[in-house]
Amino acid sequence: MGQVDFKNLRKSFGSTNIIDGLNLEIHNSEFLVLLGPSGCGKSTTLRLLAGLESVSSGTISIDGCDVTELEPRDRDIAMVFQNYALYPTMTVEQNIGFGLKAKKMSPKLIKEKVNEVADLLGLTHLLNRKPNALSGGQQQRVAIGRAIVRKPKVFLFDEPLSNLDANLRLEMRAEIMKLHRELGATTIFVTHDQEEAMAMADRIVIMDKGLIEQVGTPTEIYFQPKTRMVAGFIGNPSMNFMKGEISKNSELKLPIGNIKVNTILNLGQHIDVGIRPEKIKLADPKRKPNENIVRVMVTNIELLGPRAIVKMEHESGQVLTSVVDHDEIGKYELGTNISISLASNALHIFPKIKD
Amino acid sequence: MHIKYKLILPLVFLLSGIMLYPFIFSLWLSLQDYRLTRINDVQFVGFENFGFIATDQSFLNAMGNTISFVASAVIIELIFGLSLALLIQKLLIFRGFVRSILLAPMFITPIAVGLMFRFLLNSEIGIIPFYLLRFGVSLDWFGPELALFSIVLIDVWQWTPFMLLMFLAGLEALPKTPFEAARVDGAGRWLTFSSITLPMLRPVIVVALIIRALDAFKVFEYVFAITRGGPGNSTETIMYYIYQTGFRFFRMGEAAAASILLIIFILVFVILIVYLSRPKVIK
Amino acid sequence: MIVSFENRLSRFLGTTAIFIAIILVLFPFLWIFLESIKPPSLGGRPDIWRFEPSWENWHEIVFNSNVPLNILNSFFIALITVVISLICGAPAAYAFSRFRGFQGARYSILAAEMMPPAILILPLFLLLYKLELIDSRVGVITAHLTFVVPVVAWFLIGFFDEVPKDLEDQAMIDGYTRFQAFYKVILPAVRPGLAAAGIFGFVLSWNDLFYSLLLTGAESRTLPVAIAGFWTFRGIELGKMAVAILIAVIPVLILSYSIQKHLIRGIGGSGVKY
Ligand SMILES: Nc1ncnc2c1ncn2[C@@H]1O[C@H](COP(=O)(O)OP(=O)(O)O)[C@@H](O)[C@H]1O
Ligand SMILES: [Mg+2]
Repeated sequence: MGQVDFKNLRKSFGSTNIIDGLNLEIHNSEFLVLLGPSGCGKSTTLRLLAGLESVSSGTISIDGCDVTELEPRDRDIAMVFQNYALYPTMTVEQNIGFGLKAKKMSPKLIKEKVNEVADLLGLTHLLNRKPNALSGGQQQRVAIGRAIVRKPKVFLFDEPLSNLDANLRLEMRAEIMKLHRELGATTIFVTHDQEEAMAMADRIVIMDKGLIEQVGTPTEIYFQPKTRMVAGFIGNPSMNFMKGEISKNSELKLPIGNIKVNTILNLGQHIDVGIRPEKIKLADPKRKPNENIVRVMVTNIELLGPRAIVKMEHESGQVLTSVVDHDEIGKYELGTNISISLASNALHIFPKIKD
Repeated sequence: MHIKYKLILPLVFLLSGIMLYPFIFSLWLSLQDYRLTRINDVQFVGFENFGFIATDQSFLNAMGNTISFVASAVIIELIFGLSLALLIQKLLIFRGFVRSILLAPMFITPIAVGLMFRFLLNSEIGIIPFYLLRFGVSLDWFGPELALFSIVLIDVWQWTPFMLLMFLAGLEALPKTPFEAARVDGAGRWLTFSSITLPMLRPVIVVALIIRALDAFKVFEYVFAITRGGPGNSTETIMYYIYQTGFRFFRMGEAAAASILLIIFILVFVILIVYLSRPKVIK
Repeated sequence: MIVSFENRLSRFLGTTAIFIAIILVLFPFLWIFLESIKPPSLGGRPDIWRFEPSWENWHEIVFNSNVPLNILNSFFIALITVVISLICGAPAAYAFSRFRGFQGARYSILAAEMMPPAILILPLFLLLYKLELIDSRVGVITAHLTFVVPVVAWFLIGFFDEVPKDLEDQAMIDGYTRFQAFYKVILPAVRPGLAAAGIFGFVLSWNDLFYSLLLTGAESRTLPVAIAGFWTFRGIELGKMAVAILIAVIPVLILSYSIQKHLIRGIGGSGVKY
């Protein structure tokens, strides 16, 4: 079990609202990732759920039981902190066993459980060391061990991988996913790294400025971004955006010309039109329907091994970025004009909200 | 000459003149029969002074008084200082204000503190005995039984603030996240204190303990202001003993020997504390 | 309630404890102030709280006693002691903070700081006696330097440690010599530290009784010795003593509060990492 429910959650520090009416249901056994730019309130959300911060209004329930006012220890959750938060004066063994000691479990049983977890995480030979004698990856494992030894209903991770170097990060990522599959406990994982989110999540929650922008599977988030913010935040290099307006005959009036699409938007509505870099292709001489051909000049080419990032500029000044496979790169030449095609069905249209 | 030696030169000169030379002079002095009353008749006597001091009942008594004084004062100050620091850290308002008030005693001249309490606790004109008497409590604060304890209390009044200062800074500097982890781990207040706060604070506690103890060994002003070592010699401390021997009985050689024994004792004490308080190594 | 504990009882107890501590600290100050403005005829009467405030004690002390001279002596001695301490201590503290090979040496400063005055007073007394400097300000300054210099030097090491090394590297690249870099760039950067160390040293010298008692006479007597004298020579002159104590204490409290936030770094030095 481990179903979490946020209802109308609000949190303010002083007069600034950090979390501004958050509603979210997290399913049992789910691996949910909170993703968003730094400062958007991810940690605060997690700390509210942990009980480390008190809510300003709204309720939090775990398995249908209202925990809003409960102390952290009564919520049956465990948390892994960004800097691991190991107890510096305790050995690895004492660190892992501390939560059990707090529950007044017998030393013998504690030892048994700690050994079991240490075994699972490959920490057995380190049990008598202090945290400052461990590498970053080992400290990370201890922090995870400390969480799983208590077998809580819900695991909370606050950017646990951001202090590790790239290789170790991949390794720990896989390990956390494996643990999740084996233990089956609900896991809420905070990160600002979209790649990490895509790779790990059952569902991703995109947050911005204390609000949820979109909830969905990684595929949904990538291919059907619901808001301009999500579209721009997900994807690397990020989506190309063009400012535009709906003109007559449901045509998009864009800097690069008019494009015909099916839209229900009204005449004169201001919009942003987005297209992912990998959807910008060289125009096929045998023109297909639904393709919009645009002449642009190649202004920059960055080679990135298997792929290259090509920047181009339209005569209107509109800049576009495209991702090109290595074997295609010969067709692009710096400073020359080329024709590219933008498939209508690859365009994402976001109405501008007046403010 | 490298610039680093030029930079320390003034200090080296100064300290050689005012500390190293007197220190060596003191060592020499301790081997002489040197009396202020017979300043032209100084005789080398070897370790005779040490022999005399080491068997002198007054010296042993002064040493005993000093050790009782230091141990009780420092331990009480440690407990009060730590408790107050923990409380003040939890203060939601007026924190800076409260801290400023509570730190005040450590800055004022000890002779003033001694004299204030001499009168506050005086059995005829003191306010405290006067009002205690109304509750039927009659204590002779500077009588034979209580005098040393009263001096401990005065030291506690003046120097608990020092412990408070150290511990407030120590607590402030502790990382916050282990405490959050402990809350999530379900640790109660006592378990958090005993297994997280206290061990993490240990280096600060050791330093505060050593500084305060070394300072307490020098206790002189309260004794001078209040009891002059009495009643009997129940409050004679080592500093007061040296002061008496050297400047009232004019026996400089013996006073020097006593001060050297004091230094050796302090050295042993510091080494012992450092040794005892080292983190335990787990095999 | 103003303490953040979870349960009410402990919140109440915590607030009460802080309250009691504040009263215990403030009470002697309040009492000494009241004594100082009691008419001399009522001095030493613990049962009397209501009286016409009288400034007679203050008047006596300021105009008809040696206390102004004692204040002057204390001030002068403390000031000169601090200036010499800073002049000798600052360059050395900088060297201890910056150069290899001084790691051990910085602890010799600590050792000097810990030296009990008992061992220094005897030779200092004899030396000053031979130089006919007993009852002179110079003599007292010499003695005060023995504890002020090490404290000031130790205090400053902590502050120099916090100045990034890049700063003097930059100055030297800009064409200054190392020494110029020290006094034109680094010293100004630790000005708050110099002020704090100076004030702390001043307070230490101002508060000293032991050395001053043995090395001063009528001419050079400092305020603490004078305060002690109210008891010895003239019987109990509580009101006047109260005035003298207040005069000794008030400036020091004001000075100390101005350096409160630097004290820890100074006392702990950089040898203590929390
Ligand atoms: N204790 C606090 N007091 C005031 N503001 C805070 C506090 N904690 C967080 N904030 C603010 O709340 C916002 C969200 O913080 P956080 O949840 O940590 O963001 P992130 O998504 O990067 O984890 C930030 O703007 C931060 O400055
Ligand atoms: Mg965060």
